[in-house]
Amino acid sequence: MAGKEEFVEADNAEAIITRIEHKSRKIESLLKLFKPVEALKTALEGSPPKTRDERCKSANWIVVHRAIMAIKDVDGMFSTLDPEYYDILMKYLYRGLSTGDRPTCDQCLRIHEKLTEKAGLGCILRALADTVNTV
Amino acid sequence: MAAVAVHQFAPCITCHAWSPDHSMIALCPNNNEVHIYRSSQDKWERVHVLQKHDQIVSGIDWSPRSNRIVTASHDRNSYVWNREGPEWVPTLVILRLNRAALCVQWSPRENKFAVGSGAKTVCICYYEQDNNWWVSKLIRKRHDSSVTSVAWHPNNILLATTSTDGKCRVFSTFIKGVDTRDSKAGSSSDSKFGEQIIQLDLSFSWAFGVKWSPSGNTLAYVGHNSMIYFVDDVGPSPLAQNVAFRDLPLRDVLFVSEKMVIGVGFDCNPMVFGADERGIWSFVRFLGERKSSFSGSKYGSQFSEAFGKFYGQSKTGVSNDGIDPSRSRGGIHENCINYSCIVSLGEEGSSRTLRFSTSGLDGRVVIWALENQEDLSEYL
Repeated sequence: MAGKEEFVEADNAEAIITRIEHKSRKIESLLKLFKPVEALKTALEGSPPKTRDERCKSANWIVVHRAIMAIKDVDGMFSTLDPEYYDILMKYLYRGLSTGDRPTCDQCLRIHEKLTEKAGLGCILRALADTVNTV
Repeated sequence: MAAVAVHQFAPCITCHAWSPDHSMIALCPNNNEVHIYRSSQDKWERVHVLQKHDQIVSGIDWSPRSNRIVTASHDRNSYVWNREGPEWVPTLVILRLNRAALCVQWSPRENKFAVGSGAKTVCICYYEQDNNWWVSKLIRKRHDSSVTSVAWHPNNILLATTSTDGKCRVFSTFIKGVDTRDSKAGSSSDSKFGEQIIQLDLSFSWAFGVKWSPSGNTLAYVGHNSMIYFVDDVGPSPLAQNVAFRDLPLRDVLFVSEKMVIGVGFDCNPMVFGADERGIWSFVRFLGERKSSFSGSKYGSQFSEAFGKFYGQSKTGVSNDGIDPSRSRGGIHENCINYSCIVSLGEEGSSRTLRFSTSGLDGRVVIWALENQEDLSEYL
């Protein structure tokens, strides 16, 4: 039984990775068109929190990271980013902060400040308290 | 002004309960005692001290009709206190727990009470006339973690529990000889004792504070991830709603009508949730006055102070060693409103509550009135 579940999981993982690769190409083209917010939305959509497969999570993080680092105008970003993305973005910001990489942390903190103003402390709580659907 | 009275009773209050006529209050000042105060001409006078527990009293409930107090404590026991003449006479209830009792509540008919515990167990206690003894029947092996809150359905049979495993469960507590098979109660009265009716797996973190609406049609509970959950049609096909809010998590909830819920918790200020005509729940507003400066800039200043420390490392210039002047929260409560610290002051048998009280870790008991809150009247 456990073996079968693992197989399904692995099969799933391949499909998710393919999807993420596709997403990555789309983001690159959006960034070329100077649409960083659209790119971030695309990156956050269909994030795989439900799977436990670390490869999927890492693959998606690379994509999200690319989009986060491309954001120049944080205030402008929040004028077009819908509230439904706040919770998942907060989770990725904490993942970014956990890398310890200087430019990544700088960028994540910049966005974190504005995101907390927008979405409140509850958003942070939801990112920290959820130990099941990690990103 | 929504808060009509504020009383400072102790440095810290873990739980409180009101006497049937609301003239007396029983509270635990964060130790092993229960103090009973009576109000006399604007002053609160301590009239009784109930000393029997060995450790912190975690729950108090005062039954409105039979005028009995039940207390639960971290010492793993409960006492039922009966008024005999001028004294309160305790009866020990051996709960048969190996961990702390965390919460307690009388059933609507006051012939049973439920205790949630850290032993992943719920105790249903009832009085056995023959032995002059309170018997504790356990619901075991159903919870994966501590039971943080219990709530009785108005039909006296169903019991809802929340647990730190994040789930909310509903059990049948039918006890032969205590409860009668009632055709009105429907299918719920057919279940055996301890049978799990439903398990709600909506929260990914600790769940606290569960309550039924006055009719018993809706269930509300809160998660430690700043979410509140509303469940209609509790049964085989429940309808659940998750409401996320922007502030600190709640610890407990109270239905004041079918369409309005008050949530209290770490934000120290009661939050009002309302259901519109389609039954969609949403956050309405804070009940206590809160100056507009709190909403955005308060968080801003709090955070820029913390961020300043980071920025101070990475960039130059920003020095933030000053103390945040907006330190005091500006609310009525200055600390977290704890679990089991929101109590209805409604009329017995009435389906809505216009007054309720909250107590918190700041040792205050605050009485709130909803009468003159015009924007909320549509929900009442």
